[in-house]
Formats: sequence, C-alpha cells, structure tokens
Amino acid sequence: MTGATIQAKNGVNGAVSAVLKSLKDSGCVDAVLVPTRVKSGETFVYLLIRNPKMLDSCAPLPPVMPVQGARALQSLTRHGKVEQTVLCVMRPCEVRASIELAKRRQVDLENVLFMSLDCPGALRTRDYVNDPEALDKRYQGILNNWEGDGLRPTCETCVHFSCEDVPVDLHVGLVGTKEEEAVIIGVSKRGEELLDKAGIECSEDVSAWQVEVEKARDKKAGNRSKVVSELKDKAAGMDNLGLLFADCINCHNCMRVCPICYCRQCFFDSSDQVRLRAEDYFAKAQARGGIRFPGDMMQFHLGRIYHMGLSCVGCGACEDGCPMDVPVSQVFAFAGDEVQKTFDYVPGRSTDEPIPTLTYEEDELHEYEDA
Amino acid sequence: MADDGAARQLDKEILSPKPGIQSPAEGGGDFQPRIVGFLCNWCSYAGADLAGVTRLKMPPSMVAIRVMCSSRVDPLFVLKAFLAGADGVLVAGCHPGDCHYQTGNYYTRRRFALTLKVLEELGLEANRVRLSWVSASEGGRFAEVVTEFTETIRKAGPNPAKTEVFL
Ligand code: SF4
Ligand code: SF4
Ligand code: FES
Repeated sequence: MTGATIQAKNGVNGAVSAVLKSLKDSGCVDAVLVPTRVKSGETFVYLLIRNPKMLDSCAPLPPVMPVQGARALQSLTRHGKVEQTVLCVMRPCEVRASIELAKRRQVDLENVLFMSLDCPGALRTRDYVNDPEALDKRYQGILNNWEGDGLRPTCETCVHFSCEDVPVDLHVGLVGTKEEEAVIIGVSKRGEELLDKAGIECSEDVSAWQVEVEKARDKKAGNRSKVVSELKDKAAGMDNLGLLFADCINCHNCMRVCPICYCRQCFFDSSDQVRLRAEDYFAKAQARGGIRFPGDMMQFHLGRIYHMGLSCVGCGACEDGCPMDVPVSQVFAFAGDEVQKTFDYVPGRSTDEPIPTLTYEEDELHEYEDA
Repeated sequence: MADDGAARQLDKEILSPKPGIQSPAEGGGDFQPRIVGFLCNWCSYAGADLAGVTRLKMPPSMVAIRVMCSSRVDPLFVLKAFLAGADGVLVAGCHPGDCHYQTGNYYTRRRFALTLKVLEELGLEANRVRLSWVSASEGGRFAEVVTEFTETIRKAGPNPAKTEVFL
C-alpha cells in the first residue's frame, strides 16, 4: 500500500479539508457530505457542501457523532441515486452502516464515494454540548495518544476503526503517524484516480502506519473480549436482562437514532402488532398478579436484537442517544458478535455479501434443526 | 400474528388456562406445559391434522398457529410467544427441498439459527425453542415431536417469563 503524507499543523481537520478542497477543485467531486460545526459551536451536523470555500470550516473528524452519517446519506438518496458525484467523509462505522443500508435498499451508492479516517472513538454528545472547549482539548489528547476518557463504551472496544474491512475509496491514516502529520491513501481504484487527478502523488510506503494500526487493533480486540465476557455474565438470564434494561423509559430514541433501523413504521410502534386491548391486559395482569406499563419493554429490546443484531456496526449511536444511560449498544455488541460469527458475517464489509437471513445454503446449520 | 386478531389469539391462548389447568400464579398443581406451535399450512399443519384424525396419542400441550410457510415465522413471533409465557415454542415446516414455495424453509432454518443463537447468548433457555420438519403424511412423526418436546419442557419446568411482572 502506498500513500502521501499530508501536513496537519492546524490539526487533522485542517489537513483533510485542504485535501477535500483540491478534490473539489479538480472537478471530479461535485459535492462533499461532511460534518461541520453548527454556529452555536456546541455540536456538529452533516453538510452537503458545494461551495469549496465552506470546506474551510468543515470538521472531517469531529469529537462527537451526534448524527450517524449513514442517516445523512439515507436522507440524501431517499428518492434514488444522486446524479452528481458526492464524496462522503465519515467515520468507518458510518461507512459500514451505509453499506448495510444499501443492502436493504435504503441508500443508493451510485455516484457515492467514501473517505474515512482512523477513528479513536467519539465522545459522549451530552458531555460535549455542556463544555465544548474542554472536550475539544480532551479530544486532541485522545488523538495524540490514541486513548483517553469519556469515549463511547463501544468505541473503546471497536476493532473496525481503520480501513480494513471497510469499503472506502480514500482513507486518512492517523494512528502512530508523526505529530502534525497524517497519511492519505487511495484504497480503491477510484480513490487512486481521484488523488491522481487532484495532483496528490501517492508513492510513499505506508507500512509503518499499517503496523501501528495492527498494534492498536490487537489492543482493542483484547479490550473487547474482556468487556464482552464481563457483560455477558452480568446480562445472562431474564432477571439480569431485566436489571440491565430497568431504567428504560420506552422513549424508543435508541431505535430512532440507530442507522440500521430504517422501517418507516416500526413494528414496536404499531398499534396492531403490539398493543392489546384493555381486557387482554387485565387477563395478563390476572395471570401474573400485575404487569408493567408502558409494556413490552423487553420485547422491544430483544426484538431489535433480532431485527438488526446481524447488521449492528457497533457505532454506539443508540446508547449515545439514550437519556437513561441504558447500555443498549453494549448488549447489542455482544449479542451481535455471536450471531454475526454464526454466519461468518461482518456487517458493512462488502456490498457483495448478502445479509445472512436473505440467503441460504441447502446443506448447512443442521445442528439447529431436528430432521 | 399478521393482524390484531392473531396477536390477540396468541396472548389469549397462552394465558387462558385450559379447563383443569391452573396458571402457576394461581398456585396450580401439576405442571402442564403449554407449547405454541407455528405450523406450516402445507406440511406440518396437515401432519398435525393427520395425527388427530388417526387418533394418535399425544399430550394436549400444543396450541397450533397455522402459517402459510414456515418462513413466515419472524423471530419476533417466537420471542412474543416466549415472553407471553409459552413454555415451549415449536416451528415446524416441510422437509428441506419440499417447501411448497420451493426454498422457504431454507430461510426458516437461517432465521431459526438466529433466533436460537440470540436466546443462547442472552442466557434465555434456548432449549425451549425447537425447529422440526414434519411432512403432511407424517402424522406419527408429528405425534412423536409433540410428545418428545413436551417431555423436554416438562423437565425444564415452567417458563419463568410467565410470572414476570416487569417485562
Ligand atoms: S444498534 Fe446501536 S450500535 Fe448497533 S448500529 Fe444501531 S445505533 Fe449503532
Ligand atoms: S433510548 Fe434508552 S430509555 Fe429510550 S427506549 Fe432506548 S433504551 Fe429505553
Ligand atoms: S410451505 Fe411448508 S415450509 Fe414452506
């Protein structure tokens, strides 16, 4: 693999926005979809930018991820493909979620290019809005040392923070690079062409960066197995699960911010599917002595694991959006890991891999059936 | 469960005790397993029917819910039955290769693997769910499946979800 060193004296965001500008100026990109700080300064949103000047103030790697990028891309292509080329600058988990949505025909990838960056994780959005300045500083520290406090719990254990198994066109390497420097790599053929047209010559060997990525991944993988096995013990069984979800107020925020949950009418919001009549609730209460209201809390959470555990990219958006600090994404991470392994499936790895429940082999999984 | 009627049916069937069987909350005596069976119309439901008309002996533990193909069974159906307090949930369809819609049951098997795996991961008594293939002519096999599964469940005891208040 080869790439080019870019100077990051004004931080990663400055360096990458300069690259974005030259890509835009070269004419091979018509628009850029990229996070940008809002005027109040407290948070970030995605902007679809056509005016190159506005790229000056974009933030390709913001300290937080208030909106999952796949959601932004989904809104953009809701009515079908974009006619002009758009470059989406996203964290790796946002790219992977976009791929999963494309498989579900909720995103159209034609004319869409992806650029990702090595991601050290995202800080909790609620913490950030309370003190953006202090958290900006903290994030700078995290970028320098590749660790620090206040990250989303799932980010601490994320092994897909770089571009391996993430189908991007361009990638910005940050792990272990010299301070004030980053590397840019054309990962796909199209990515290489883009850099070429923008006059960015990619002839440097980047194996030093690759080695650092491996090291960082090993460390995160270690974290992951530790955290997963701890949580697994804590969550096992109906009683424990009940405790884990006990604080849930049924706001369904976790579902609404999840990039993978796309149904316009959610099963769990549909009165026909899950709501019963008063007399049925009475019967239930009679049989159990009493029942909880609002009901179906467990059905909602376990049901979501069923519906999207296979595609969960572990972005942590659900947990970040939860007002009650329910460890939703952590439960998803460990339940999801196992089902994904059963089908040897890595969500977001490739558009060519069908979602496991939408395909089959005739001769398989005999341990689950009784013939 | 595609409509309100079926959703209610499921809850009611599980909740309303058959004559002579009391719910555990009411301090019922001997444990009589309640099993919800999602049976495909073309094979297993017909197999169940055959078992019935030939008067084969089997425990009266199953509430049958007919689906047009076993692949209609969303993991959520199984989950709903499970949380409603079913002691066991059976999904049954045509043997692989014999699905009325050619390939439905291959998908069923994948979904069922997903269903079971999640229960296992969460420590939720995966032995309470079962996938069996029963053809229309296998009345005897149907009776065996029900008898065997009922015994397994009897050993496992009542589903604790049945008495959970804070679900
Ligand atoms: S379930 Fe949570 S962690 Fe998984 S993709 Fe959805 S928002 Fe992200
Ligand atoms: S966001 Fe939190 S409180 Fe709201 S439904 Fe999800 S887990 Fe429950
Ligand atoms: S019709 Fe029986 S399994 Fe599909």
